[in-house]
Amino acid sequence: MVGRVAVVGVGQTYHEEAKSSQSYYDVAFEAATKALEDAALDKGEIDTVIASGWDVADGRTISDMYLVPAASGYLKDSAKAAEDGVLAFAYACMRLAAGAFDTALVIAHGHTEHPPELVSNVVFDPFFFRPMGASTITTLALQACAYADKYGVTPEQAAAVVAKNRRNAVDNPYAHLRSPVSVEDVVRSPPVAWPLRALDCPPRSVGAVALVLATGERIRRIRSDVAWLRGIGWAVDGYELGAADLWRLPSLAAATARAYAAASIKNPLDELDVAEVHDITSYHELMAYEALGWAQPGGGARLLEEGVTGRGGKLPVNPSGGVLSTNLHAGSGLLRVAEAVLQVTGRAGAHQVEGARMALAHGVSAAAGPAAAGNCVVVLGRD
Amino acid sequence: MPRRVAIVGVGLTRCSSWRRDVSYPELVYEAVSAALQDCDIGPDAVDAVVYGSMDPFDGLNAPERWCVDACASAGALNKPLLKISTGGTTGGSAALGGYYHVASGMFDVVLVVCSQRVGETLDAQRVLNTAVDPVYERGFGAGAITVAAIQATSHMHYYGTTEEDLAMVAVQNHENSSNNPYAHLRFKFTVEDALNSRMLSTPLRLSDCCPSSDGACAVIFASEEKAPKLAKHPAWVRACGQITDNYFMGDRPWAEDWDSLAILARRIYRLAKIDNPRREIDVAELYQAFTIQQILEYEALGFCQKGEGAKLIRDGTTSMQGELPVDPSGGVLCNNPIGASGLIRVAEAALQVMGKAEQRQVPNVKTALAHAWGATIGFHTLMVLDKQAP
Repeated sequence: MVGRVAVVGVGQTYHEEAKSSQSYYDVAFEAATKALEDAALDKGEIDTVIASGWDVADGRTISDMYLVPAASGYLKDSAKAAEDGVLAFAYACMRLAAGAFDTALVIAHGHTEHPPELVSNVVFDPFFFRPMGASTITTLALQACAYADKYGVTPEQAAAVVAKNRRNAVDNPYAHLRSPVSVEDVVRSPPVAWPLRALDCPPRSVGAVALVLATGERIRRIRSDVAWLRGIGWAVDGYELGAADLWRLPSLAAATARAYAAASIKNPLDELDVAEVHDITSYHELMAYEALGWAQPGGGARLLEEGVTGRGGKLPVNPSGGVLSTNLHAGSGLLRVAEAVLQVTGRAGAHQVEGARMALAHGVSAAAGPAAAGNCVVVLGRD
Repeated sequence: MPRRVAIVGVGLTRCSSWRRDVSYPELVYEAVSAALQDCDIGPDAVDAVVYGSMDPFDGLNAPERWCVDACASAGALNKPLLKISTGGTTGGSAALGGYYHVASGMFDVVLVVCSQRVGETLDAQRVLNTAVDPVYERGFGAGAITVAAIQATSHMHYYGTTEEDLAMVAVQNHENSSNNPYAHLRFKFTVEDALNSRMLSTPLRLSDCCPSSDGACAVIFASEEKAPKLAKHPAWVRACGQITDNYFMGDRPWAEDWDSLAILARRIYRLAKIDNPRREIDVAELYQAFTIQQILEYEALGFCQKGEGAKLIRDGTTSMQGELPVDPSGGVLCNNPIGASGLIRVAEAALQVMGKAEQRQVPNVKTALAHAWGATIGFHTLMVLDKQAP
């Protein structure tokens, strides 16, 4: 990249089941305002704003019409990545790296008061997949099923991911679900789409998250404890599920390769101190371990059982509680980046991983798509 | 300073009310393969894809996923793909996205592709109505045509523009589109015919309004190292940008002037070092979904003084033979696959600079301007393309 980029401000709302006293733009405004306050910047000091989200899911055509002005973008250069906020983050990084802007604000929101099954069904072609009932959750279940079948992953092994992340969320005041659950609770919860049970799936949360980014000389003038962008990569899978190896995540592996190459990471388990992974289902956290190069194919569950990814482990994963505790429809990926920033700047509070200097954030641009097909990996460092 | 970036390839599709001869991915493939052929590269040469569409107008959610194989072509999957949607400006915003992908230094060759099947929308104006606030503004039917009608009424009231002026805009654009094999509406009519056409939203008649079109467009951006190898005459990006106006229409009351576009134009001209746009720009592709908007755009873009836009139509300044031809393609008025229309403006401007616009070519184009508006007139994008690298 041409210019160096750092995250200098983080803002998030408290995430909850509904925010009936706030309109869409009130929620976005709250997160954006907190991010600006965190960076101690006035809204006039933001040069460009990148919004995110899916209009069809929001039920609002051109949602950036209200998101951008709510996030300090009035009369500014803006855009919207019609993706999870993690890709709006990627776009903001490119805009800053190009040297065209000094500061950027990225905003993502979640408004899934209603189940997104119908709007994720119309992602699919009307001829083959749509009549079959394909949706985000049913295609995720196909992947989970293929993965469990290929490597003999048991429901209990997957449930251990939920138990870990829900326990972590207890320490995160912003998380939506802050009550711990046991492996027993998970495997006894009602089935949703085989092999996924209710607690294997994330909740639907309402909230927003915003990040302030800066580049060049501007960074040092804003603050000293920033999270430097060390590497970023993203990729998307093909459409045809029938042509895919459903037990692995090739686009995540491709995104990872790009991010590690940019960050010069050779041994991720040794070099990373903490990770926030898009655990869109319990099985997908295990699959992500493998695509991220931390375990051999099929070795994800063992990594968890050995405690490597638990609190106090060699590479704690989702100390914030992850997506299984807070699921902002179009903001879950960006929230992973926000949490990674808090970790490397030592500001994560009760869920801080001691001495974290290098963090990885993984976001799935999930709600728009068959299975976990669009992936983005971000590596952030204190140095 | 950002890395220098140029457009090296363009692919357009035939557009019509309903392209029922192709599936959605086939429509996208038509544009992508034409663009790849235009600069004689295979899909493997593409480092990243930027995709633009306005999903609610397709009745689909995230069509880029269904069409991903058509973008990347077989054997080139697991590439970076970023979807951009900003309403009518989607195509312009996606072009900016392609520019920044390359300018950042992260990618050398980037495919920007936009598509829309408005033909499959039950009622585009109803869909657009969901853009505005459900409490204050949705009820009075705000959409594209109603907002344009307010612009027209206001311009007529303050500046004396007439229905005949609007008819002349329509006639000029339809004259141009008859030279464009990729345009949707390709018939000519007279001012009298236009004035006798059906009233849709006073004072806008059928002849003042764009069609609903199915179509796609692809444009390939390349770095300064790659561009000269991929195109004989690359179209270099001299400046580009977007602007965001207030969300509430009640907060932007001056409908007779397009202030947000005027502000953006000043920024872009400063970046491009353009002092006198009328003299220094050789051709402009403006996004005029409604005739009145072409007049407002002349004024906001500094082609003339405020209130004098209609004069440029009347004296032929913006005709194909004039000093500053506008919309040689016929513009959005003759072809509107919404999410692709902004990128088609960029593509047409690039073709003019590259000297490949065929029957609609303006002679000796050095500098071209591409514009788009969207979001019930809340967003604008501009891109200045040039034969000379900046």
